[in-house]
Amino acid sequence: MIWLTWRQFRAQAVTAAAAVAAFATLLAITEPRLASLYTGSGFAGCRGGSCAGLANAFLGQLSNATPFGGPQGFRLLPAGTNLYVTVYAVGLLLILIAPAITGVFWGAPLIARELETGTSRLTWNQSVTRTRWLTVKLALVGAAAMAVTEAFSLLQAWWAAPISRATDLGGSVSVFSGGRFSPFVFATGGIAPLGYAAFGFALGVTAGLLIRRAVPAMALTLAVFAAVQVVVPLWVRPHLFPPDAAIAAVESTHATFSDFSGAPTLSAAVVPGQPGAWILASGAVNAAGQPVTALPAACGPASGTPTAGSAFGSDLGRCLASHGIRESVSYQPVSHYWPLQLVETAIFLALALALAGFCLWRLGPPRLNSRPAEASQRAVGVEATVRSE
Amino acid sequence: MTAVIAAEGLGKRYRGKWALTDCTLSIPAGHVVGLVGLNGAGKTTLLNLATGMLAPTTGTIEVLGERPAAGPAQLARVGYLSQDAPVYAGLSVGDHLELGAHLNPGWDAALARDRIDQLDLDPRRKAGKLSGGQRAQLALTLALGKRPELLILDEPVASLDPLARREFLQDLMGTVAEQEVSVVLSSHLISDLERVCDYLIVLADSRVRIAGPVDELLSAHHLLSGPRRDPDTRPAGCQVISASHTDRQSTLLVRADGPVVLDPAWTVSEVRLEDLVLAYMKQAAGRSDRNRNRHLEALT
Repeated sequence: MIWLTWRQFRAQAVTAAAAVAAFATLLAITEPRLASLYTGSGFAGCRGGSCAGLANAFLGQLSNATPFGGPQGFRLLPAGTNLYVTVYAVGLLLILIAPAITGVFWGAPLIARELETGTSRLTWNQSVTRTRWLTVKLALVGAAAMAVTEAFSLLQAWWAAPISRATDLGGSVSVFSGGRFSPFVFATGGIAPLGYAAFGFALGVTAGLLIRRAVPAMALTLAVFAAVQVVVPLWVRPHLFPPDAAIAAVESTHATFSDFSGAPTLSAAVVPGQPGAWILASGAVNAAGQPVTALPAACGPASGTPTAGSAFGSDLGRCLASHGIRESVSYQPVSHYWPLQLVETAIFLALALALAGFCLWRLGPPRLNSRPAEASQRAVGVEATVRSE
Repeated sequence: MTAVIAAEGLGKRYRGKWALTDCTLSIPAGHVVGLVGLNGAGKTTLLNLATGMLAPTTGTIEVLGERPAAGPAQLARVGYLSQDAPVYAGLSVGDHLELGAHLNPGWDAALARDRIDQLDLDPRRKAGKLSGGQRAQLALTLALGKRPELLILDEPVASLDPLARREFLQDLMGTVAEQEVSVVLSSHLISDLERVCDYLIVLADSRVRIAGPVDELLSAHHLLSGPRRDPDTRPAGCQVISASHTDRQSTLLVRADGPVVLDPAWTVSEVRLEDLVLAYMKQAAGRSDRNRNRHLEALT
């Protein structure tokens, strides 16, 4: 069974290995210059408060750099685009879509193509049960899908380590922005790609088994996976681990003021003493800790009416502080990065296992084709019985 | 005599439609059994149930005394060649043999290689590039290479041209004789079955209409022709299967288990297998018509 799985999967495996090798080569060629800029900019050796500025300087230099230094560096890309910006963005994109690609091209046809071409009837009549056939295929091809995605992720993590350090410190230039908790960076780093790859693959296999036709199954897999990629960072990930809470002076949170539809809000930009934290929710509270819905009138005219989107001046900050108004922040600190990664990965691995289990149960000897009869079908069935008697 | 396939009240419904209802049959071992019926009689459904490709909606089926596809051991004992002889288009002939070797503990590599040599198939050739006949031969080689006790063939020659059909059946018979394997072969082409089968089952409206060794069936049936009679008169000791009347002549196909003694006006001739099968199919169709009429009468 392992032989057949490998024989059928060989071409895809070679393609995937070639893609990983090509990406590795690209990163290996461009890495030395990135490393020298990292040291040269002084960012590599920085400690403490000066780092934030150096991070931006480093990212700025990188976004104008050519791989071998000097203005005559080889040009792979059209003028106006930078190699490092492009490679970083392409890398993130590759890791994001690799689970979708393996789910669509490896998962969805795994059973559906065999059913479509009738070869299932050839293979399922050898001396191997369908359960064993599917178990081996799920395990080997699924493991390959996970390995490919994680390989992309590890290569990117190695190459972009200085960039990640800079963005985690708040550095932001061009595409080099967003720390470890930004949606794309979180989903492409750590162990999360393993979970996504397993889930995408199992989703494809399940769609193929239920729809029994490869192309519609591929389309459905892509649609569902894309929806999951949107829903999870927006609504699921923030709640996967209990967040921390803090109350701090408004000024110290670099809060910005906004006034959409008459509800003035103060949105914190940083959590004091927690660099790189992921802010889930924030807002002004009074001395009793109650949310403040309107700013004190005294602070308005005296310090000049704040304009929407502007950072607070220190006068206004002092005024709010004198009225006992402070900023409350709910956030995931940097120390929650790995717990969040673990929980998210575990959820997707569990979903993948559940889907695989469903496929095995569904394909098992007594169930294939015997769809549950709906009420209307049952009625027709009775008719047919009567007619045939 | 043990049964290779035993079904009891077997029924299968797809999406609300019954493809097979209340089928009870027992197919003895050691024969080349022809399963014949019109298109839609339930032959393919029956064979899919027998190989475990489908699960029955009602009733039970046992193949070689076990539930179909119950496990690797049961699967190893049954060879199956399905209707369109599926093969992997992207794999070569040699790959298919290797597939057989890897997936079947009892694989007979020498037998498989000999067959491929005899058929003059290039092992490096992609299966997708084979002709219909060659593809069927390759699929049959896989089914035979596992050395099954029972070989199930679903319309194996339906898609082949007459020459390829003849060659396929000849080759099949040769191999079957050497391997001592029981065969169940479905077809709607009686002429093909006549050439290879020694046991016949006629399936119509998912019921077994008649089953038995071909020579016994032939010797028990007679074709009578004589001057036109009243359609209701029956020759003594005979069961009339079908009757046709022209203005002058009546022709009856009768079953008589003893010797037929008739008034000399009848001419008795031997029945051809094809006429016999057609008579039973027509009888089944007529019976269900009469049933339908009876239902209608009851309603009015």
